[in-house]
Amino acid sequence: MKKTTFFALTLSAAFFCVATAFAADLPQKIVIGNPEALSGTHAKAGEQAIGGVKAIIKWVNTVNGGVKVGGKKLPLEYKYYDCESKKEAVTSLLERLITSDKVHFILAPYSSPLTLAGAPVAEKYGILYMDHGGASDKIFTQGFRYAVQTIGPGSRYHVGTLDMLKKKDPAAKRLALAYKDDEFARSVMDGAEAHAKKLGYEIIFKRTYPATVNDLTPLLSDLKASKPDIVIGGGHLADGQLFTQQMADLGINPKALSLVAAVTIPAFQTALKGKADGVMGPSHWEYGVTFSKEKARKAGQVWIGPSQDEFVKLFKDAIGRDLRPEYHAAEAGAAVLSLVLAVEKAASLDSDKVRAAMGDLKFTSFYGGWAIDKTGKQVGHDMIDAQWQNGKLVIVGPEAASTGALLYPKPTVK
Amino acid sequence: MILEQLAGNLLQGVVLGTVYGMATMGLSLIFGVLKVVNVGHGAFIMVGAFTSFAVFEYLGLSPVFAIPVAFGIGMALGMIFYYSSIRRLLKGPELASLLATFSFGVILEEGIKFLFTSDFRGFNWDLGKIDMGFTVLPYAKVAACLGSVAIAVLLYLWFNKTRAGMAMRSVVEDGVGARVCGVNVDWMYALSFSLGIGLTVASGVLLTMFVSVGIHPYMGGEYTLKAFVVAVLGGLASPYGAFFGGLVFGLLENGSYTLFAQIPGLEPFAMTRFFSFLILLLILLLRPTGLLKAK
Repeated sequence: MKKTTFFALTLSAAFFCVATAFAADLPQKIVIGNPEALSGTHAKAGEQAIGGVKAIIKWVNTVNGGVKVGGKKLPLEYKYYDCESKKEAVTSLLERLITSDKVHFILAPYSSPLTLAGAPVAEKYGILYMDHGGASDKIFTQGFRYAVQTIGPGSRYHVGTLDMLKKKDPAAKRLALAYKDDEFARSVMDGAEAHAKKLGYEIIFKRTYPATVNDLTPLLSDLKASKPDIVIGGGHLADGQLFTQQMADLGINPKALSLVAAVTIPAFQTALKGKADGVMGPSHWEYGVTFSKEKARKAGQVWIGPSQDEFVKLFKDAIGRDLRPEYHAAEAGAAVLSLVLAVEKAASLDSDKVRAAMGDLKFTSFYGGWAIDKTGKQVGHDMIDAQWQNGKLVIVGPEAASTGALLYPKPTVK
Repeated sequence: MILEQLAGNLLQGVVLGTVYGMATMGLSLIFGVLKVVNVGHGAFIMVGAFTSFAVFEYLGLSPVFAIPVAFGIGMALGMIFYYSSIRRLLKGPELASLLATFSFGVILEEGIKFLFTSDFRGFNWDLGKIDMGFTVLPYAKVAACLGSVAIAVLLYLWFNKTRAGMAMRSVVEDGVGARVCGVNVDWMYALSFSLGIGLTVASGVLLTMFVSVGIHPYMGGEYTLKAFVVAVLGGLASPYGAFFGGLVFGLLENGSYTLFAQIPGLEPFAMTRFFSFLILLLILLLRPTGLLKAK
C-alpha cells in the first residue's frame, strides 16, 4: 500500500470515528419544552401559540425532514404543560421541563409578565429561552443571556401607526394614551409616548387602568373631557373590547383609535360588530401579508418555513378546528423556525452555541423578518397596522404590506 | 367641569352599584343561611353571562329573556351542588365547604370552556342612550339597573310576604327553634343555596346588560373579589345589606376617581381601589357587622 493511500485511509477512518462519536452523542430527537397558558386569562392566546408551534413542527419534521445536526436529521418534539396563566406555575413547570423532562430548549409562555417570570429559571439552567409572546422591552434590560425574542418589542408597537397618522393628518395634535397597567402595556405606552413627542404630538391625557378592570367609565369620561384627536391604548383582548364598547357608550369619537393586542383578533369584531368599524391596531402578523419565498429570494434573504397558506392549513390540522391562526400562532411558529436555523448553523444542541448562532441570524418566513440585537431583543420584524372596515380586517400599513387604504377619520359611533 | 364629571361618575356609580349589589345578594344569602362561603361565586356569574350570550346569539332574544333562564339554571345547579356535596359538608370543618365551592367554580369554568372554548365572547345589544349633558347613559345600563332593583324588591317581598320566605328567615334567626316549629330546615337549606346560586347566575345576565363584551370562562375571578368586598361592606349575612353595599361600592369607586384625577402624579384608577379598601377597613373596624345588620 502506498504511503499516501495509507494516510488517506487513516484520515478517513479517524474522521469517521469522530463523526460517529459526535453522532452517538446526539439524542434521537430535539425536545422543545413550553409552559403555555391553556387556561386562565391567556388561554386563548396560549391555544393559538400551541397550534402555531405544532404546525411548524409538523412542517419541520415532514417537509424539512427534521433539523440537520452533525450530519443527521433530528425530528422535533414538543412538550407543553398548562401554566394556567400564572407566574408561579410557569416557574415550577420550567423546573420540571428542564430537570425532569430534559428538554433541550424552552419556549416561553404567552405574555410579558409570564415570560419575565420564567426567564430567571432559564438563566439558572443556562437553557435557551425563546420568547414568542412577551413584548415588554424590560425583558431585555435585565441582562438575561438566554432570552431571545421573536415578537416585536413593545416600544415599537405604535411607531408605524403614529408615522402613518402624522402623514395622513399633520394638523391632528392632541393625543391621549390610556393603557392597562401591566408590564407589556406600560412598555407600549412608553414607546408610543416617546415617538409621539418626536413627531410633535401633544400628550393631553395619559392614564393607566387596572389589569382586571370591568368598568372603564370613569377613565373614559375623563378622557372625553380632554377632547383628543387620536386615542392610543389597550392592553389585551378583554379590556380592548371593553374600551371600545364603553367609548361608544359615552359617545367618544376621536379621529383615530388604535388599541394593542385586541383589535386584530376576530373575536374583537365578532363581539362589537359595527362599534369596531374604524378601530385599528398594530399586529405582528395577519393573514394577507405578502411575504413569500420568491420575494425573499429576489431580495437576497434567507427563507425558511411554509408559505402563509400552507401555515394556515398546518395550523388548522394541528388544532383540529376550522380556526384561523392569529398573530399569537404565527409568532410562536416563527420562534421555532429561528431555532431550527440556529441549531443547524451551530451544528449543536448546546444552548450557548445556539444562542451565539442566533446573534447574527437573519431570515424571512411567512411571519416576516427576523433578527435580534445583542440583548436578544427582536429588531428585524416590522409591525403592521390593521383596521376594521365594514366588518373586514384591512392591513393599512406599512404601504408595502397593505391591502387597503386607512379609513380616516374613523366613522362616528352614535 | 369637575362638578359635571363628578355628577356623571356618581350617576354611573349608582347604576354600576345596583348591579354589583345584585351580583352579591346570592353570596350573602348563602352565607346568611348556611354559613357557607361560596368562593366559586364568580364562576356562577360567568355562567349567567354565557346564558345571556347564548340567548342573544343563538336564539336572537333580548338578554332580558335570559334572566329567568339563568335563574332557572342557577336554581338547578344549586340543587345539584347542594344535594351532591354541600349537604354532606355542612357539619364538617368550614374549610371543606370552602374547598367544595372552589371546586364548583373550577368545574364550571372548565365545563364552559369545553362548551364554548376560551374565546372572548360578546354581543351588541344596542338600545340607544340618553345624553344628559354631564354624562351619557346607554338604555342597556338603565335596564340592568332597573332589573337589579326589581329583583331586589321581589326578593324582599318573597322573604316578607311568603311562607317559604318567612320560614327561611326563621332558619337564619334560630335553626333549632324553626325545626321545633315544624320548618323543614334541610329543605330550607337546599332552597336557600339554590336561590342564592339562582340570583348569582341571574346577576351574570345583568352584568352583560351593563357590559356585553369580555365574556370568557375565567371572567369570574374579579367579580368574586368585588362581591366579597361588597358583602362585607353591607353585612356578610344580609342580602339587602349586600345590595346597599353594592351601591356604596359603586359610588366610592366612581366618585373617588374624579377626586383623585385632580391630584397631579396620581393614577386615579389605582387610587380608587386603595380608597375603596381603606373605607372597607374603616367600616370593619367601626362596624364589624357591616353597614346593615343581617335580616
